[in-house]
Formats: sequence, structure tokens, C-alpha cells
Amino acid sequence: MVKPDVQGISMDGVSENKMVPSDFSTGPMEKAAKPLPFKDPNFVHSGHGGAVAGKKNRTWKNLKQILASERALPWQLNDPNYFSIDAPPSFKPAKKYSDVSGLLANYTDPQSKLRFSTIEEFSYIRRLPSDVVTGYLALRKATSIVP
Amino acid sequence: MAAATAAGLATNVFPFRDARAAPDPVLEAGPVAHGSLPVPLVLDNGSFQARAGWACPGPDPGPEPRLQFRAVCARGRGGARGGAGPQVGNALGSLEPLRWMLRSPFDRNVPVNLELQELLLDYSFQHLGVSSQGCVDHPIVLTEAVCTPLYSRQMMSELLFECYGIPKVAYGIDSLFSFYHNNPKNMISSGLIISSGYQCTHILPILEGRLDARNCKRINLGGSQAAGYLQRLLQLKYPGHLAAITLSRMEEILHEHSYIAEDYVEELQKWRCPDYYENNVHKMQLPFSSKLLGSTLTSEEKQERRQQQLRRLQELNARRREEKLQLDQERLDRLLYVQELLEDGQMDQFHKALIELNMDSPEELQSYIQKLSAAVEQAKQKILQAEVSLEVDVVDSKPETPDLEQLEPSLEDVENINDFEPLFSEETPEVEKPVATVQPVFNLAAYHQLFVGTERIRAPEIIFQPSLIGEEQAGIAETLQYILDRYPKDVQELLVQNVLLTGGNMMYPGMKVRIEKELLEMRPFQSSFQVQLAANPVLDAWYGARDWALDHLDNEDVWITRKDYEEKGGGYLREHCASNVYVPIRLPKQASRSAEAQASGKGSGASGGGAGEQA
Repeated sequence: MVKPDVQGISMDGVSENKMVPSDFSTGPMEKAAKPLPFKDPNFVHSGHGGAVAGKKNRTWKNLKQILASERALPWQLNDPNYFSIDAPPSFKPAKKYSDVSGLLANYTDPQSKLRFSTIEEFSYIRRLPSDVVTGYLALRKATSIVP
Repeated sequence: MAAATAAGLATNVFPFRDARAAPDPVLEAGPVAHGSLPVPLVLDNGSFQARAGWACPGPDPGPEPRLQFRAVCARGRGGARGGAGPQVGNALGSLEPLRWMLRSPFDRNVPVNLELQELLLDYSFQHLGVSSQGCVDHPIVLTEAVCTPLYSRQMMSELLFECYGIPKVAYGIDSLFSFYHNNPKNMISSGLIISSGYQCTHILPILEGRLDARNCKRINLGGSQAAGYLQRLLQLKYPGHLAAITLSRMEEILHEHSYIAEDYVEELQKWRCPDYYENNVHKMQLPFSSKLLGSTLTSEEKQERRQQQLRRLQELNARRREEKLQLDQERLDRLLYVQELLEDGQMDQFHKALIELNMDSPEELQSYIQKLSAAVEQAKQKILQAEVSLEVDVVDSKPETPDLEQLEPSLEDVENINDFEPLFSEETPEVEKPVATVQPVFNLAAYHQLFVGTERIRAPEIIFQPSLIGEEQAGIAETLQYILDRYPKDVQELLVQNVLLTGGNMMYPGMKVRIEKELLEMRPFQSSFQVQLAANPVLDAWYGARDWALDHLDNEDVWITRKDYEEKGGGYLREHCASNVYVPIRLPKQASRSAEAQASGKGSGASGGGAGEQA
């Protein structure tokens, strides 16, 4: 893949370099050039309307989308890739800690499902407003959709 | 008791530094950048901080990377920033006011938004004083994620080669560069790297100097998740200070006041004891703010408002009374006129009028007249009264003050009540009194303190026990065991002799001891292992990359040149001792913009790319 006009244009590009790379980096819809007043002489290569990979749509892919399309590539069984090096889930049972104080929790409040370790914590939990209770449960990812 | 608490309150109180970053100067490249060969630029592109500098050959390679800045940018607020557009890194000063506008090119540890990445690179090049025309004429050493997606490497190569026109680039992994820096160069070494950064933690086995990528593992927890966890914990404990508990302050607590417990359960038992608690709790002093409990008005403003409302109501009532009085008066007049008709003897008209009025007899008319005149009298009197009392009211009206108790937050002996005390003192709303009287009596300083007790060990513990935040992944110890079990026993032995801890999130006091303890638990009885913390866990990646660049300047096999990029596509990687493993899968090249403009259609992308590749 040869791009013969690259060199020619790079010599020409002088002070309006910053305008063109903004062209290069924004999608077709966001063509409004943002002329940045770069006083430094242009180390930026003047884009030749350059190959902005993956800019058919305006937004950048996020990691989930990138990984989804990576999965579709022809990997061999043993090839290392980003999703194959995810750590496995834990096999050991998780220890239970009190939501309020972090000590080992032997008890769970049946009404709010918060864990506690002492009687004082229990009375504290029973007096909490409901948004704080949901906050503690969400922190543990223990909010259940089914009531 | 009071004396003890007064003394106790003064210890362990720490203010927040709330540091602001100073904007970076635009540095002159200086003679270091201009040698016979172009000098490589080393850029440690991290999700927390980007570090950039020159790799200068010669006797004095320079101490630190010239630029270290947070890898974030934010558009200036309301266009009031001199029209310069998005500001990057240290030019932002303090991050907190802009927290919701901060954008980072990273999603987890992979750069996905190359536009922002370009801004960061612009910033780095500009402030390092790159002065070549039309392109950046220096080889670049850039760090990337472990097993980074090919798409992301393609985008990065494209940005570097086509936008900046660099001659050649080398990609490497930051932890491997750190390993390179911390090990004697003349030996080909094997070892195990445990590297914990801002977004994730990696465990990387190295065999014969090369990364064994098949057996690496990554836990998706790092410094940012610890900061988020700490922030939520403190916000739930102190709902009144929601806005003051910012992520920057959480990072400060993590960096300076947290540690890793050697044995988590045992350490928690120690914290149960109230003396230990008092001696070790860190009370973070928030700056004083007069906004108590979400009320945005001071008490005087509240009184003013109440008085105004009262006055308005009274005026409304007075007006209504007057109107009613007028109506009644008219009706009364009419009825009296009808009665006069009766007295004058004009019976026909009288009867007609009665029918109009819907009444049956003169007696009814009479009684009605009486009632109405009584009502009119009453109304007149009331109006008079109201006018008089209105003046009296305005002078000394007091809003009703609820009678409230004030709790003094005293540190009691019962365990964990200490945690609850600040919450109790918040629950008593401010006492409303007319302004000129004594201020509420409770200890304002203690009200504005955050008691950080067990949170000091809970927040960093998430990388060892991800179940604390509900993550299903295994923690460091279990993952370490899983990886070691994939090797034969002699290789295991070899690997644990050289365990390196690197990365900013490894800098908690007590981390090394904890890892040693975990290894002791999982290794066979009386076998040996060696754990080493990197000399400078934060900057070692940059130093390693710089050393690597200087050592490999002449070695053409490790640099990806522009020709390689054009021939073999953006995902191409040349392997070296600190790089990822290259899996030769060709990505379909995305269509170029000029092709798109000509084709003026979106479907031509893949086919245009495919055709281009064949040529």
C-alpha cells in the first residue's frame, strides 16, 4: 500500500497543520476545523485527509466493542489476547465483612440484607435512611432486582 | 472524660493538601535532542499519568522524565479559556472543579479515543520542545497494554506514522521495562512480575527473558477502583459531606494514609479494640464550610423569608375581607330598600322583589337583614383589628423554633460508636435562633472531620479480595497460585526466586510483607522465594524504557519502521525482550477518508480496504 503523495504534502504543510489534523481526527460530520494557534513550527504531519481508521461513524469504539470485534478474528487456541488473560473467577468462598465497619461479619440483617458484627452496628443499621442502605448494597453489588 | 477527649481530639488530625498541579513550561529541547542520530523519545503512556522525556545517550542520562502529567483533558469552561480549546494534564490545575468534564483517551488500560490521545501527544511534543518541521523526527518508544487488542495497536500506529510521521516506533509493556531496569542487564532472567496500576493488575511470568504471554493474567482492579471504593464508603458514612469527599482527596488518603495489612483478619481484630482505634484512626480535617446539612441559607435569611411570607399572607387576607365586605354591604342595601318598600306600603313591588330574592315572607327578609348587618359589622371590626396588629407583628415576629438538643460528639469507649459519632452530630439539624445570639455549642472542628479507621486497610485490600466490591475475579494470591500451577515444579521454583512488584498501586506500606506471606502459604514447606519491590515503582517503567532505547538504538530488529507499517498493516509488532507477543492476524484496514469522500458512501469501507491491501 503505497501513498506517493504523502511526502509532497508533508513538505507543503506549514502553519495550517493544526487545522488539517483536526480534520483528520474528527468524523465527517464534525468538519468544523478548529484552528489551534500553534506557534511551534509544525511537527505535526499535515494529514492528507488521512486514513482515519474506523471513523465511518462519529464516535470512537469503546473497549467492549473493540473486544467484541476482536473475538471474531481467527485466533488459535493458545494465542494470548486481551480477553484470554482475564483472571479466572475465585474458587474460594468469600469472607463476609460488615458493611459499616469492615470487621468480620457473622450476622446479616434480614430486613435490609446488610452485614454487621456487633449490636451497636445493628442499631445503627436499623436507623439508616434507605438511600444509604442501597448505597452499601450497591457497593457490594448485592442489589437484587427481584424484590 | 472531657479532658481525655480534648487531648485525644488533637492527635491524628490531618489536613487535606488539595494540591494543584503547576502548568508545565514549554521546555527547550536543548542539545540533548540533537545529536548525530535523532534521539529517541520515551513515552510511558499510562491511564493514570503519562510520562515523557528524551532518551539521551552520553554520560548523564538525566534524572527524571521531563514531563509527568495526568492523562486527562477537559474543554475549557464556557469558552473563557482564551479560545485554546481542550486543556491537557497539568495545565488544568486542580481537577476537582472539572471532574465531570474530564475525558481520558483510555478505557480501562487501552487507549480507545485516539483524538484525545493525539491531544496528549501534542501536549508532550510541544512541551518537550520538538522542533522538527512537518514531522516528529525522533524514534519513539511507547508503552502499551499487555496483549493489547490489535485494533488499538493499529490505531496507535496510524496516529504515529501518518499524523506525526515518526521514523520508527517500538512498543513495549511498562512492567517489562521496569523488570528490565531492575535486573542486571547481562543476565537473561526469569521471574514473575506483579504489576498493579491505576486500572488493572497484571501477573506476568517471564521465562528466559521473554514474556510467557499464554500464562499471564490480569485482574481488573487497580488504584482507581480503590479510590472509588473509599469514596463511596466515606460518602455513605458522612452523607452531609457528600460534595467535599472528592476523588482527588481519596487519592491523597490512599497515597498517604493507607496501608496493606499483613494478615487482614488479624488486623481487623486489632481495630476492634477502642484504644488501638483511637491511636490509629486518621481524622481528615475538611476545610470549614458554612453549609451545614444542605441548607443553603443562613438562619437570618430564613427568618427574612418567613417574615415576608407572613406579610404576604396577611395582605391577601385583608384584601379578601374588604371585598367580601363590599359585596355584603351592597346586598344589605338592596334588602333594606326592599324593606322600605314594605314600610311605604307598596305591596306589589314588595312582593315582586321578594320573589326575585327568593324569599317567602317579610319575616324571612327581616331575619336575613339582621344576619347580614351583623356580618358586616364583624367584618369591619376585623379589618380594623388587622390593621392595628399588622404593625405590631412586623416588629417582633419570630419564626417558630423547634426545640432541639445538641449532642456533643464525644469519643466513647464502646467500639465503633466512634464511627457513628460524626453521623449523630450531623443528624441534629442546626438550631435556629435569631441571629444575634450564641452560636451552637458543638465542636465545629470535629463536625468537619472524616474518621478514617478500618478504611485505611479496606480500600487497598480489594486487589487481594475482589469480593469486597462484588467482583467475581480472584485476588492476587489466588491468581498467583493458579499461574504457578500451570508450570512444572522446577519452573515454579525458578519463577518465585525473582518476584518483582512494580506499579504505582504497589506502593502501600506493608505490600511486600503481605506478598511474602501469601507466597509462604502457597509454596511447599521450607522452599525459598525472593520478593523485590521495584526501586521506584512509579517511574521505573519510564527508566526501563529509556535504558532499553539506549541499549537498542542500533538494533534494527526491534523497531517498527514506516515501511513495516505500510507493508504489514497497523497491527504489526516486532517482538523484543519487553514486548507483547505478536500474533500475525491481519486486520481489515479501515477505509481512508479520501476513499470515503470519493465513494461518498459508507458501504465501500471494507471492500475498499480489502482491495487496497492486495495492492
